[in-house]
Amino acid sequence: MLLAEVQYARPSTLEDAVRLLGAHDGARVLAGGQTLTNVMKARAAAPDVLVDLNDLAELREVSSGAGLEIGAMLTLTELIRSSDVEAGRPILAEVASQIADVQVRNRGTIGGNICSNDPTNHLPPLMVALGATMTIRGADGGRMVDAGDFFLGVYMTAVRPGELLTRITIPAVGDARDGFASVTIGQDGTCIVNAAASVQDGQARIALGCVDAVPVLLTTAPDEAAVRQAVQSAGLDPPSDVHASAEYRRHLAEVVAVRALAEASS
Amino acid sequence: MIEPVRGLRISVEINGERHEREVEVRRLLVHLIRDDLALTGTHVGCDTGNCGACTVIVDGVAVKSCMMLAVQADGSKIETVEGLAPNGELHPLQQAFSSFHALQCGYCTPGMLMSAKHLLDHNPEPTDGEIKRAIQGNICRCTGYVNIVEAIAAAAKGEIK
Amino acid sequence: MSETTVTPDKPITVDEQEVAPGFIGQNTPRKEDRRLVQGDGVFVDDVRRHGMAYVHFVRSPYAHAAITRIDVSKATELDGVYGTLIGEEVAAETDPFFQIAPPPGGDLKDYALAVGRVRHVGEPVVAVAAATRELARDAAELVEVDYEPLEVVLDMERASESATTQLHDEVPNNTIWQGNFDYGDYDAALAEADKVVRIKRLHFHRFSSTPLETSGAVVEYNRGTGQWTIHSNNQFPGFAIIMMAPALKVGLDKLRFVSQDIGGGFGNKICTHPQLVAMCLMARKLKRAVNWTEWRTDQHTANSHGNERLFLDVEVPVRSDGTMLGFKARMIDDCGAYTRYEPLGCIIWAQVTPGCYRWRNVRVDFSQVCTNKSPCGPNRGYSRMQHLWFTERVIDIVAQQLEIDPVEIRKRNYIRADEMPYETPNGCVYDSGDYARCLDEALELVDYSSIEEKRADAKSRGKLLGVGIGSTLDSGTNNFGQSTLVNPELQFSGNNEVATVKLDIFGEIVVTLGTTPQGQSHETTAAQVVAGILKVTPDDVNVRAGHDSYWNSHAGFSGTYASQFAVTGLGAVKGATDMLAGQILQIGAAVLGAESPDEVELDGGFVKRKDNPEAALPFMACGAIVNANNAVLPLELRELTLNCRYVYVPPHQMPDKERKYGNLTLTYATQIHACVVEVDPETGVYEIVDYGAVDDCGVRINPQIVEGQVQGATAQAIGAATHETFSYDEDGNLLTPNFYDYHVPHALDMPPLKTAYVESPSPFTPLGAKGMGEGGGAGLSAVASALQDALRGSGAPIVSDSSNPYNTVWNLLQDPGESRKLVEVEDR
Repeated sequence: MLLAEVQYARPSTLEDAVRLLGAHDGARVLAGGQTLTNVMKARAAAPDVLVDLNDLAELREVSSGAGLEIGAMLTLTELIRSSDVEAGRPILAEVASQIADVQVRNRGTIGGNICSNDPTNHLPPLMVALGATMTIRGADGGRMVDAGDFFLGVYMTAVRPGELLTRITIPAVGDARDGFASVTIGQDGTCIVNAAASVQDGQARIALGCVDAVPVLLTTAPDEAAVRQAVQSAGLDPPSDVHASAEYRRHLAEVVAVRALAEASS
Repeated sequence: MIEPVRGLRISVEINGERHEREVEVRRLLVHLIRDDLALTGTHVGCDTGNCGACTVIVDGVAVKSCMMLAVQADGSKIETVEGLAPNGELHPLQQAFSSFHALQCGYCTPGMLMSAKHLLDHNPEPTDGEIKRAIQGNICRCTGYVNIVEAIAAAAKGEIK
Repeated sequence: MSETTVTPDKPITVDEQEVAPGFIGQNTPRKEDRRLVQGDGVFVDDVRRHGMAYVHFVRSPYAHAAITRIDVSKATELDGVYGTLIGEEVAAETDPFFQIAPPPGGDLKDYALAVGRVRHVGEPVVAVAAATRELARDAAELVEVDYEPLEVVLDMERASESATTQLHDEVPNNTIWQGNFDYGDYDAALAEADKVVRIKRLHFHRFSSTPLETSGAVVEYNRGTGQWTIHSNNQFPGFAIIMMAPALKVGLDKLRFVSQDIGGGFGNKICTHPQLVAMCLMARKLKRAVNWTEWRTDQHTANSHGNERLFLDVEVPVRSDGTMLGFKARMIDDCGAYTRYEPLGCIIWAQVTPGCYRWRNVRVDFSQVCTNKSPCGPNRGYSRMQHLWFTERVIDIVAQQLEIDPVEIRKRNYIRADEMPYETPNGCVYDSGDYARCLDEALELVDYSSIEEKRADAKSRGKLLGVGIGSTLDSGTNNFGQSTLVNPELQFSGNNEVATVKLDIFGEIVVTLGTTPQGQSHETTAAQVVAGILKVTPDDVNVRAGHDSYWNSHAGFSGTYASQFAVTGLGAVKGATDMLAGQILQIGAAVLGAESPDEVELDGGFVKRKDNPEAALPFMACGAIVNANNAVLPLELRELTLNCRYVYVPPHQMPDKERKYGNLTLTYATQIHACVVEVDPETGVYEIVDYGAVDDCGVRINPQIVEGQVQGATAQAIGAATHETFSYDEDGNLLTPNFYDYHVPHALDMPPLKTAYVESPSPFTPLGAKGMGEGGGAGLSAVASALQDALRGSGAPIVSDSSNPYNTVWNLLQDPGESRKLVEVEDR
C-alpha cells in the first residue's frame, strides 16, 4: 500500500522525457499510474526514477489520416469519447469501455495498458488483431514496431530502457470489420480469456489473450469452423489459476474466438 | 533542464481552499488528503485500486486518489466529500443518500458520492444502467447498491424527499 | 398475528406535523447519516494523536515454519524508527490467550505475535513502529527473520491423520474439538424409512464478508494510571477485553475501548485481540500513541475467514412422499491456524439443528481441526449459515432424487406456523415464523407460475434456465451457556446488553448504548424506541455516537454481533426509558400537585395533568429540579436521578451439558429466497436474472433499515456463491488476497433484487422484534439450487459445493456423472 522511496521528474518536452529515461538506469515511465502505482505498492517493482508524461500534450493527440494516429498518453475515457476513433475504428472505444471502471479509465492510458502487457489486458490482443503499429522514441530517434513484434513476454514489450511508446497507428478501416469477446470475473472484472477479431480482405485475424505470455495470433478463413480448427490446432498451453483451469481456458479461448468473429461478421 | 527529485513543494486547491505542502514523491494523493491535510472523509479500503473508497474529483474528473501521487496533483483543483456541503446545506446527492437509505456503515459513501457527482456533472439525466456504470468502481459491502442507484436517480431528477 | 407487507415503491415517511403515537414501524431518517454523508464520521484511521507512531507488522511468508532467528537491528537503526516488538518479548510480558476449548484443544498457546513458530501465511511476527507510515513499511523490510519450513497442512480431512504434522504441540491430530450429537431416535427413523438418500460429500467453502474498512487501532498508554485507551473498530469489546486483560495481566478496567464509526464488521472485527495486545505492548514500551491500519491484503490473508466445513457420509431416511425423518452426518470444520472464537462454531450450528424442517432424529459427529490457513472468525451467519446450507442442499437433493417438486417437499417438511413456538430435537425454541407463507411470497416475487415459459424462452436463446429456493433462519440473542456444551468448565451463560437514558440538566434526552454498530443504524432505532415511550420525536432524542467502555454503559457481552440488537440493545433501551418515564411522572406529579403519577401523563416533552393539560411541566424543568433545585422535592423523591441504567437480560436457562440440550437462542428470523439463473451451456457462465428475498424478523422497528440489511446480506451471499473464495495453493499461499482476485459484487453484478416481508412478532422479546442481518445465507442455497435445476436436463449433476464459479459449472456440464456419484438412494 505504501511506496518505497523514489525520484520523480515531469518533463514538458518529449526530448526531455527521452533524456531522463536514458540518463537513469532504473527509470520508468509514469503514464496513468493505474497499473504502476499498484505494482509499486506491492513493492513488486521498485523503479528509481518515475518520468511522468502527463504534461506532454503532443502524446495526447488523435488524428485520422491514412490510419488512425493515437497518442500513447490518450486516456481510455478520451479514447472512448474521441470522434476520430468513433469514425475510424469504433472497436477501440467498445473494448476500452470494458476496462475496469470510470475512475481507472479517466487516468489509465492506451499506452500504459499496452506497455504493461499484463496477459489479461484487453488492448494487447486488440492491437494484434488490428495490425497496429507502435512508434517508439529513444535517444537514437524513433522506430516503428508492428504489434506482432511488440509484445515479447509477460509485462515485457519491445520498448527498451531509455525509450517510450509515443504513438499507436491503427490502419485505416477499409472493409475491415472488428469484434471482441471475453469472459470476465464479474462485469468488467479480471479477465479469464479474451479474443479480438478483425475480418478484412476475406481473411480473419483472431488474437487470443490470457492464454499465453503474449497475444496469440491466428489467421484463418472467416468462418466458424475454420476458427475452431485454428484454435484447436494452435497448441495452446494456457495457465491454470484460481479462476480457471488450463483446460477451461483452452475451451473458452475457442468460444470467445468464435464469438469475436461473429461480432466482426455481423 | 529538469532533474529528478525525491520531494517537492506542491500547491493544491481542495474544495476551493489552497494548500501548500512539502511532500515526498512517494506519498499517495490519498495520504496527502487524509494525513497531511486532515481531510479524513476520503477513505482507504484496499491496496490494489479496486474499491474506490478513495475517489475524489481532480480537475473535473473522478479518480482513485490511491493511484495518483500527491506530486501529480500539483496545481490541480480537487473536490472531496467535505466540499459538497460548504455551508452545512447538504448537496442533493447527500440528501438523497439519506432519504433512500443508500448508506449503512458510511465507509464507501464519500467515494460513492464523488463518483455520483462526477456522473451528474457530465450526464444530468442518467439511466439506471449509466448510474451503475458510474459507480462500478466503488465497492459497497453493506447495501447491495439497490438504494444507492435509487438515490442517485432521484437526485438527478430533483425528486428527493 | 402475521401481516404481509410487500416492499412499497417509496418508503413510508412520517408527516412532520403529526405527533405519531409511536415510531415503531416508521422509516425514521437516520441520525447517523448527517455526519457520514459529509465525510465527518470518525473511523479509526481518522483518529490522530500528537507524536503518534505508525506500526507495520512483519508477517510470515510461510504457512508453517519454525522461526530460527530474528534480527531487528537494521530496522531500529533507521532514522525515524521508534522501536520494535518480537514474540520473545510478548511471551515474557503476557500470558497466552484464554482458550474456549477444553483440553487438549484448549492447551494450545496463542500470543499476540508468533512465538517460535508461524502457522499461517501473514501471521504477525514482528511489529515495527516509526514516525510515518512509509517509514514503518521501509523499516519492516530491514527486519531479518530466518525460518525453517515445516509440512504445510491444508487438507481438513487429512489434518487429523496421525501421520500429519501437528500445528500445535499440545493438540494431537490437529483436532481442536470433537463431539457427538444424538437426538430423537435415529436408528428407529432409519428402520421406518421407505428410502435412504446418501450423500457422500458436501462442501461449504471459505470466504468472508470483507468489510470495506479494514481493522485498525490507535492505542495510548497512560503511565500514571496504567490505563490503556484503545481506539479501535473491534465490534465486540466485551469479548476483546475479557481476552486481553488476563493476557496483559491487568484488571479489565485498565482497557478502555473507544469507537465511533466502524466501516462494516459482519463478524470480521471480533477477533483482533492479538493485534490489539501487540499495540498495547508497543504503546507502553515506546511511551507514545501507536497507530495500526491493516492492509486489505493482510485482512484477507491473516484476519478472519468464515468457517470452512465438510459434510460427509450424509444419510437421510425419508418416506416415499418425501417426508424427511432425520439425518446423520459426519461434519468437519476447519478453523484455520488458531482458535480465537472457536470452538464455539462447534455448537452454534445446533441453534438450527433441523433448519426450517420438522426433522426429529439427528445424529452428528462433529469435529473441528486446525490447519495452516487464516484463523477463522464469526463471519456473518456464523456456523448457522454453514449448517443451514447443508439442510437446504439435502432437501434439494432429496427432491431431485425422489422426483418430488421442490416446493411441495419443502412445504411438506417445513415447520408450520401453527406449531410455533416449536421445540427442536435439541431443545431450541423457534419463537415464531411462517415458512410456507414466506416461500409463497418469494415465488411470487420471481413470477414462479411462469417459470416454464421463461425456461422455454431461455432455451430458444441457447440458455439453460433454472429456479432455486434457499431457506434459512437467522437465530439471534445467543445464550452463551451453549459454550458449556463444548467445554463444561466454562463459566459463561446468558447474555446481556446495557443502555442508559437520562434527562440532562436542561431537559435534553441523552442515550448511551453498549453496542458498537457498523452500519446497523442503532442510533436511529434506539431514538425511535425512546421517542415512542417519552412521547417526543426521534429528533428530540440524542443518542451518543459510538461506544466508550469508560463512559458508556457496557457489560460482559456488549458489542454488535449475532443478530441481537433489536432484542438486547433495544430491550435495554426500552427498560431504561421505561424507568426514566416512571421517574419523570413521579416528579411531575409531585410538582403539579397530583395525588399520584397515574394522574399525569407525558406529552410532547411535557408532563401534564390528565384533568388539566394546561398544568404542564417541561422536561427541562424536571431535569433542572433534580440536578440543581432538589429542595423543592419531597424527601421520598430525592433518590430519583433521572439517569437510568438498565441491563436487559434475556430469559435464558443453563443448557443440559450431558444431553447437549437446551434453548440456545431467543429469536429466529426467517429468510426464504428464490433465485432464477440462466446458464450458458457453452461456457458455464451464468447470470442471475431474477431474485426474490422474503424476510420475517418480527416487528420491524424501521422497515427501510431492515430492507437495507436484507439487500446487503443478499449481495454478500450472491458474491460468495459466485466468485468469492479464499483459495490456497499447495504452499498455503492465499490466491485471492485482494479485490482484484477476490471479486465481490459491484453495482453491475447485482441481479434485479425484489423484497417482501412477513411480520411474525416474537412472543419472547420486549418489542416483538427479532434480531436480523445475518440471513443472507439463503442466497448461497438459492443459487446452488437454481444451478442444479438449470442443469437438470444436462445430465442432472449434483451441486455439492457452496462455491460455484463459472469453471465449476462448466465442470458439472462436462461430467455430470462425476457429481452424481456422490448420491445414491436405497429403497427399503
